[in-house]
Amino acid sequence: MSTSEQIIPHGHVLRYTLKERLTHWVAAVAYIYLLMTGLAFWSPWLFWVAVILGGAPVSRMLHPWAGLIFFAAVWNMYVMWAPQMKHTDVDKAWWKAVRYYSTNQDDKMPPAGRYNAGQKFLFWGFFWGSLLLLLSGVVMWSPQYFAWHSLIAMRIAVLVHASAALFTIGLFLIHIYMGVFAERGALSSVIHGDVSIAFAKRYHPGWYKEIVGQSSTPRK
Amino acid sequence: MTNGWVDMKNTDMMLIMGGNPAENHPCGFKWPVEAKRTRNAKIISVDPRFTRTSAVADLFCQIRAGTDIAFLGGVIRYAIENSRIAKDYLVNYTNAAFIVKGDFKMPADTDGVFSGFDAKSQSYDKSTWNYAGTGGGDATHPVGGSAPPAPKLPEKVEFDLSLQNPNCVFQLLRKHYSRYTPEMVERITGIPKEQFLKAAELYTSIRKDGDMKKAGTIIYAVGWTQHSFGTQIIRTAAMLQLLLGNVGRAGGGVNALRGHSNIQGATDMAGIFDNLPGYLKVPTPADTSFDSWMKRITPTSSKPAPWDSFNYWGNTPKFAASYLKALFGDAATKQNGFAFDYLPKVDRNYSWVQMWDNMYNGVVKGMLAFGMNGVAIGPDSKKNIDALKKADWLVVGEIYPDETSEFWKSPGITQDEMKQIQTTVYRLPCAGFAEKDGSFTNSARWLLWKNTALPTPGDARLDQAIVAQIFLKVRELYKKEGGKFPAPILNLTWNYSNPSSPPLAEVLKEVNGKALADLEDPATKQQIKTGQQLPGFAWLKDDGTTSCGNWIYCGSFTEAGNQTARRDPSDPSNLGLHPGWGWSWPANRRVLYNRASCDADGKPWDPTRRQVWWNESTQKWVGNDVPDFKVDSKPKDHMGPFIMNPEGVGRIFAPLGAFADGPFPEHYEPIESPIDNPLHPAQTHNPVVKRYKTPDDKYATPKDGYTVVCTTYRLTELYHYWTKNNPMNVQLVPEPFVEISAEMADEMGLRGGEKVKVSSIRGEYIAKAMVTKRIKSMMIDGKKVYQIGIPIHQGYRGIKEDEGKDARTLVNLLTPTVFDPNAYTPEFKGFLVKLERA
Amino acid sequence: MSQATLRVQKISGHAGTVPGEGTQREYTVCKLIDTTTCIGCKACEVACMEWNDLPFGETVFDNTYQTMPETRWNYWNLILFNEHVREDDGSLMWLMRKNQCMHCAEPGCLAACPADGAIVQYTNGIVDFQQANCIGCGYCITGCPFDIPKMNPKTHRVFKCTLCADRVSEGLEPACIKSCPTGCLHFGSKEDMKFLAEGRAKQLREHSNHPNAGVYDPPGVGGTGVIYVLHDATKPEIYGGLPKDPHVPWTVKLWKGPLKWLGNVAMVGGLIGLFVHYLRYGPKAREEEDINPGGKP
Repeated sequence: MSTSEQIIPHGHVLRYTLKERLTHWVAAVAYIYLLMTGLAFWSPWLFWVAVILGGAPVSRMLHPWAGLIFFAAVWNMYVMWAPQMKHTDVDKAWWKAVRYYSTNQDDKMPPAGRYNAGQKFLFWGFFWGSLLLLLSGVVMWSPQYFAWHSLIAMRIAVLVHASAALFTIGLFLIHIYMGVFAERGALSSVIHGDVSIAFAKRYHPGWYKEIVGQSSTPRK
Repeated sequence: MTNGWVDMKNTDMMLIMGGNPAENHPCGFKWPVEAKRTRNAKIISVDPRFTRTSAVADLFCQIRAGTDIAFLGGVIRYAIENSRIAKDYLVNYTNAAFIVKGDFKMPADTDGVFSGFDAKSQSYDKSTWNYAGTGGGDATHPVGGSAPPAPKLPEKVEFDLSLQNPNCVFQLLRKHYSRYTPEMVERITGIPKEQFLKAAELYTSIRKDGDMKKAGTIIYAVGWTQHSFGTQIIRTAAMLQLLLGNVGRAGGGVNALRGHSNIQGATDMAGIFDNLPGYLKVPTPADTSFDSWMKRITPTSSKPAPWDSFNYWGNTPKFAASYLKALFGDAATKQNGFAFDYLPKVDRNYSWVQMWDNMYNGVVKGMLAFGMNGVAIGPDSKKNIDALKKADWLVVGEIYPDETSEFWKSPGITQDEMKQIQTTVYRLPCAGFAEKDGSFTNSARWLLWKNTALPTPGDARLDQAIVAQIFLKVRELYKKEGGKFPAPILNLTWNYSNPSSPPLAEVLKEVNGKALADLEDPATKQQIKTGQQLPGFAWLKDDGTTSCGNWIYCGSFTEAGNQTARRDPSDPSNLGLHPGWGWSWPANRRVLYNRASCDADGKPWDPTRRQVWWNESTQKWVGNDVPDFKVDSKPKDHMGPFIMNPEGVGRIFAPLGAFADGPFPEHYEPIESPIDNPLHPAQTHNPVVKRYKTPDDKYATPKDGYTVVCTTYRLTELYHYWTKNNPMNVQLVPEPFVEISAEMADEMGLRGGEKVKVSSIRGEYIAKAMVTKRIKSMMIDGKKVYQIGIPIHQGYRGIKEDEGKDARTLVNLLTPTVFDPNAYTPEFKGFLVKLERA
Repeated sequence: MSQATLRVQKISGHAGTVPGEGTQREYTVCKLIDTTTCIGCKACEVACMEWNDLPFGETVFDNTYQTMPETRWNYWNLILFNEHVREDDGSLMWLMRKNQCMHCAEPGCLAACPADGAIVQYTNGIVDFQQANCIGCGYCITGCPFDIPKMNPKTHRVFKCTLCADRVSEGLEPACIKSCPTGCLHFGSKEDMKFLAEGRAKQLREHSNHPNAGVYDPPGVGGTGVIYVLHDATKPEIYGGLPKDPHVPWTVKLWKGPLKWLGNVAMVGGLIGLFVHYLRYGPKAREEEDINPGGKP
């Protein structure tokens, strides 16, 4: 970490450490590759995507490796964030009021912590989805190369893989929408690491309260 | 075969026994399948194992190896008891009505042997095995001289067409096999009575209610021949077929499946020491001249006085004289008995097993081994290996390095022992089948020419080139150095365009024979000029004006060219005769004895399968096939259809010296058997079979702990000891195995794939167990008996692809040195072993 | 294997129309296997290896006459040997069934395959793998109800019987048919083979002890380009697990059918929904309300 990076601009608070940001972007790049190649295998109408990405055989060859990288990143997130992703009473209330959240009436929302209930759901959704993708993916990776291969397991794996992928795609769309379009500042936060105090106050009041009680210059 | 492969499509019923054609003759098996498909024909498979053939059979009986005579005898009894016999055929075309001499006795009356047995010499005085009758120099009426002449058949045979005379062949047959009840069959063979009766009923159903239209065939292979009574099994089958009127008929006959592409050819060309090409009997030291030899081996007809007999072997002098002319050319003259003195005189047994015994005992010093793997073939491979250790030299002509040429590397021989072995081994690379031309004679007696497909690789040479060069060298030495008796070598004809590698087409031409003078057929005025190829054996002369290397092949290479190379697939009669495809001996005749396909009046028994028939208007026999008969013999002359027998009829009773061990087949146990013979426990084995006496020759009894019946066989996937050199075959059958019944495996706590050691008193074989439902335990004479089976193909000389998988032992380490007294075939089937985990 | 003279009527993983579909007057070809006359000689296995130049593969003894437990990427034609005891009379049967690609009219492999043109069905019904287009995903393996396609672990390409499309396109019969010694294998138009098979089954019912003899041409996969005559058509399972009523597996059907549509609708719907949401509600905070989120200090 260079010294310049330790400096937090005035009115900003550190939201993601470098480790967190790196993990996120490793997962993001891997996921986007997986999404594109996966979609190419999903539909003949998108098969061209695989062709662009170096040809379908290359895509088929790299997809499982990208999957491993993705899962490694997800696993790292799990290790870093799982304690913070515990379901709380505030989250219960949050879900009850989710209609206000989705209609941008954030002031009517109960005070969320570092992560609101929706983000937690996203996290756990990605975690379990990735786990399913990993397990089914491993079964599909090397069909018949081993004496213990199972046709039934493969058939189920294909189905599970597609279903789990669809599920994560849903989460992914919401994630992109929220991070890039809905919450201005979110994208920046996962690039630069910090958010404005206003952002913190607006979206994560509980978290804001927590951090003002701490050192005012947390390290990035 | 009396018939042929393609002819099997005409059949209604097949008894496949002592053979597994689906396994070993898959291409020929097309025709049995065709009969099933097009005629609803039935297959009865009788085998020690449920085989590939059994898989497509309609009925399967599991038989104990070596009890086929009991089974067939039981079927004969069943056919007689249930009147499922061809009465007219029997009376007119067989010797059923002939009356046998009163002093002939059968095993039931003489403690398990026929009359005339001498226990000391283990041989028979066969003079009682004869018809009652007059003339012909019967032994009971010796005509002067010091030594009584060998007994002969009577010229006029007494007979009883009602078949009621208690001493007529039919009544003797009935009496002899009356002992082969279904209960007895079950005790001996292990086939449950009901199952046996099903089989007997099904096979004889073709003669239900006296119907003569249907035909049944019996198909066999080495499962019958490889016994110490093999010839008699085949005899029993022939008798059954005569009884049912199946011989000579389309879809009938007794059909031997030969185990190699050209075994029939080898047999025709004197594969066995006791005959010359064309089944002429070899001269013995007692034959002092051509004429005395001819007198001994040329039969005279022997028949009921009102009947006629063609007695075609009466032409033997013509065949023999032409043969000697082919061998010695101008050196063979009428004056010198056609150089009869040049022929070796066979003074004793020179058969396969005897040869190895002789080498073991130091009599035979060297061996030229071509086209066979003698050590692996066995029997008793250890004895063969030990014999080779004592030989001075061994020449092996092969396309692969084989077990024989590496006998000194066989398992169990130590480095020190190897150094002691002084045998010089010469290995000559030979040509493979695709690298040579020549003719194959298939099981159906068809000679088929083949062309060279590939050049010989490397230093490999053609077999005939190797043999020719050895001959030329020997002749040169005789020319130079003289010797005891150089004349036969120096005078042997060798008129080939390339003496050091005779073209095989020229050899076939020589075998066919040619005119040595201008000839004319007095009846047709047809002429043949000197030097022309003969069109058929009817032209052969006993005056030295014809030469012919093998009379039955005469007609195969005529002035019209190489008949064996013909490839006209047409079959106008649709009977599978294909007269323009290759050439069939004799005289391009496809079904032997085809006169018997017609009733006494010359009309086909079955009008839908017309082979030959009597044409009233031309007063000649004509047909789709070449009539196997005297073409102008009128039906009312009552000439018998079995023209090669002096009787003119089929032999249900085989008189005199026809067989060494009896005129009727009797069930004897294999030399190693789990029980005493239930028919006569005092005479368990074939009485004339002799055992060998070297230290390597051991024979076991159940008392020695060897209680399991073992049989050996081949697999479709492999060809003898040869294809284990080809990775693709190795892939199909990667490892040697032993087939074991599930029950036996349970008892031993053995699972499929575990290694077992099979031991006989002579040796051991290690392989993996194939545990199967296809072999079951059997109740034999009240005793539970297990049977196992081993494919023969593996050995200690393998290739990279089967490295480590091969047990590197030979199956024939297990088999005993003992052979059939008629054909000298060793007993590879049905010996005793014990089985342990390895 | 590319067959220039054969036209294609179905293509895997293909968007849009298929060039050969409905454009050719063509017989559907068919292989008839009469298991009641098969002697398990393996000539077809060897012919297949020879014609297709398939390399040697290691095998081990497995308590059977069967060459190997199942077909391999380099062994497309395998006779399955099964010992079966008949329920009715307790007699033993040694069933031999030549196993290979069945060339289904509605091939599950083709349905499951995502790679454009990796699996094609010619207008004569032959289902053929085009290894050049194969991506090695193995989905075809999951689509096959007969467990036929096998992957080469080195090249990651799937192989199976081509019904000798190269020979058939030249007017020859497949190599296995050519090699069969007993005539248990026949080749011709589907119609002719059905006729032959039905005739043989009738013969077995009437003249042999096989009252349940019949023809195996399973409708669940639209019929097959390889049909069997069975001694007992009510129990195809005894022939080494020949499925009684084979279908494209439900997982593949679900995945390629409802799930695919559901997924497509969900994805496209989701995108549209989010876009509309943005139009309606916009971002949570207007630009002016936000403090410069991440600019340099």
